[in-house]
Amino acid sequence: MIYFYDGTKEAFLTAFLLAYPDEEAVLVSGTRQLSVGQSTVFVRSDPDRARRAEARLKELDRDGLKELDLLLRSGQEDRDTVAFEYFRLIAARGCPVRKMLAEDAVFAAMECIRRVEFEVHRFHGFLRFMESASGALYAPFAPDNDICDLILPHFRTRLAPLPFVIHDVGRKKAAVFDGDHVFTAPLEKAELALSSDEEGWQELWKHYYKSVNIPSRERLKQMRGYMPVRYWKFMPEK
Amino acid sequence: MTNAPRAWYNMVMIDAEKLKVLTESAKYDVSCSSSGSARKNEGGIGNGYIAGCCHSFTPDGRCISLLKILLSNDCIFNCKYCMSRSDADVPRMTATPEEICELTIDFYKRNYIEGLFLSSAVVKSPDFAMEQLLLTVKKLRTEYKFCGYIHLKGIPRADPLLVHEAAKYADRMSYNIELPTEKSLKLLAPQKSRESLLLPMKQLQRERKIFCEEKRKGHFLPAGQTTQLIVGASPEPDGQILRLTQGLYRQTGLKRVYYSSYVPVVHDPLLPETAAGSMREHRLYQADWLLRFYGFDAEEIVEDDGNLSLDFDPKCAWALRNLQLFPVEVNRAPLEVLLRVPGIGARSAYRIMEARKYTRLTFEDLKKMRVVLKRARHFITANGKFFGAESKKSIRGAITAGEKREGAVQLSLFSDRETALSALTGEL
Repeated sequence: MIYFYDGTKEAFLTAFLLAYPDEEAVLVSGTRQLSVGQSTVFVRSDPDRARRAEARLKELDRDGLKELDLLLRSGQEDRDTVAFEYFRLIAARGCPVRKMLAEDAVFAAMECIRRVEFEVHRFHGFLRFMESASGALYAPFAPDNDICDLILPHFRTRLAPLPFVIHDVGRKKAAVFDGDHVFTAPLEKAELALSSDEEGWQELWKHYYKSVNIPSRERLKQMRGYMPVRYWKFMPEK
Repeated sequence: MTNAPRAWYNMVMIDAEKLKVLTESAKYDVSCSSSGSARKNEGGIGNGYIAGCCHSFTPDGRCISLLKILLSNDCIFNCKYCMSRSDADVPRMTATPEEICELTIDFYKRNYIEGLFLSSAVVKSPDFAMEQLLLTVKKLRTEYKFCGYIHLKGIPRADPLLVHEAAKYADRMSYNIELPTEKSLKLLAPQKSRESLLLPMKQLQRERKIFCEEKRKGHFLPAGQTTQLIVGASPEPDGQILRLTQGLYRQTGLKRVYYSSYVPVVHDPLLPETAAGSMREHRLYQADWLLRFYGFDAEEIVEDDGNLSLDFDPKCAWALRNLQLFPVEVNRAPLEVLLRVPGIGARSAYRIMEARKYTRLTFEDLKKMRVVLKRARHFITANGKFFGAESKKSIRGAITAGEKREGAVQLSLFSDRETALSALTGEL
């Protein structure tokens, strides 16, 4: 049976409760091609069921739900299966399993989480702000995983009291610090008037980037390995 | 709407040409890390990032973490290998402290950089140059309220009081030893001496110890000291370089030694005309990692007057010399033994240590856990099984087969997920 759900944590937990006894269960969020003959079920999130599943999983593994949050943020195609198999193993063993790395389900989940966390770390470095006329900072980006609210706290501590917006242009949402509060909101397109010297600083940054390079030691492959091309779009130096 | 702390300043944007000259002369310093400081944002802008953070990568494969720049390239010293030496016919430029401060703040705010790496030529005199550096970082900290990372280069032969004062504002300071022996130093950097570099390093180490013991207020080089050695400008073999490195780690408490393979930007009869290969530099870094994270002694890695093998990484070369110690059983070997297996880095070793608590690991399991077996299989058994080559000769053949010479630079040194993140980019 294929269990469709909407990708939220609550719906996942509802679906998990339903699908757990089914040995051939596959969990799917979003759209995916179906092969003929597969029976499907659309799971609507049920707060009551979700709460029960959550309470039970918490008993079995205190830190598991934090991992679920990260897994569901992954942009990986098979994230639902990865999460389902991981929690199924926790339920089956009745204890934390995260260190049983020789288990396929565990290794897949840990790798998936690692990729999400690694992208958070990467964007602590690769995010680029521009300054608006009002002094607020705006950073568009297109991460693989749904992480805009996860990278916000770092910048809040660092840049406070400056207000800023981190815009995931792919998912059309933004994490915002307005000077007092932090929140996430849907955001299609941002209208932005740049500050008068924004362009000047961007130009200087490009000069700097060019000057600090040692052309006789070109290693493009290494550069691309560390800083994947798909991230370049929002970096003024590239 | 709150204003940034510097709003009452007049805008001072550095001239693009000046930025170019002062960057070009700073870029051969290879140190880039921004790790080791947990400085808090104390009502200004910025904070430390204990694991370090890379903000961009240039086409030469190096990371940009800090704004690496000279305050001035106008030098009275005449070090043969340096493009800013007094003899050289190059444009001379000097930035004002305000220009550097504004540039740092505005780059930082846009998240281009993790902080400032400020260095300077010896302008007028060592004391004058050091004073200017001190003035700049003090201004940046106190007037611009910058709490991000600052790496400050020390000027040899400057007054110890200036050095002490500077350490209160910088997160890290470094004196570059540059050449591994006094003899080479005398020949190529006549105004420097080993002592003029080691004395301030020892002074800072002493003062930092006192600062920590007395739990004084404020900061004193929270990220410690580093140094740099130029490789290939003078004839010292790797063995000598590594023994020096080991001494520096153990006696001077340095956080890191950087190796810069010599690039001939300057022509002088005393200097080689060709660049040192980047492979040599790479092997030295691998050996350096073995010293710091894998429990090796310099003496095990290379003989005094020998060089590191270019064909095999230093751990592999060591294992081939000590085949009597292998194979080891992955289900039983203690961590320090696992770490000595070629191809098993700290991340793999950590995974093995965890996973074997629950099951007896087989080669299949290791593969699933993405332990790289290309080299390791010759040195381990898994659940009693051995899949390696039998003789030293065939192991050598199997390992070098299909190997590209100027290949990957990736090192694994992860002991847990957190350090894995920063280690991947060499920020650590």
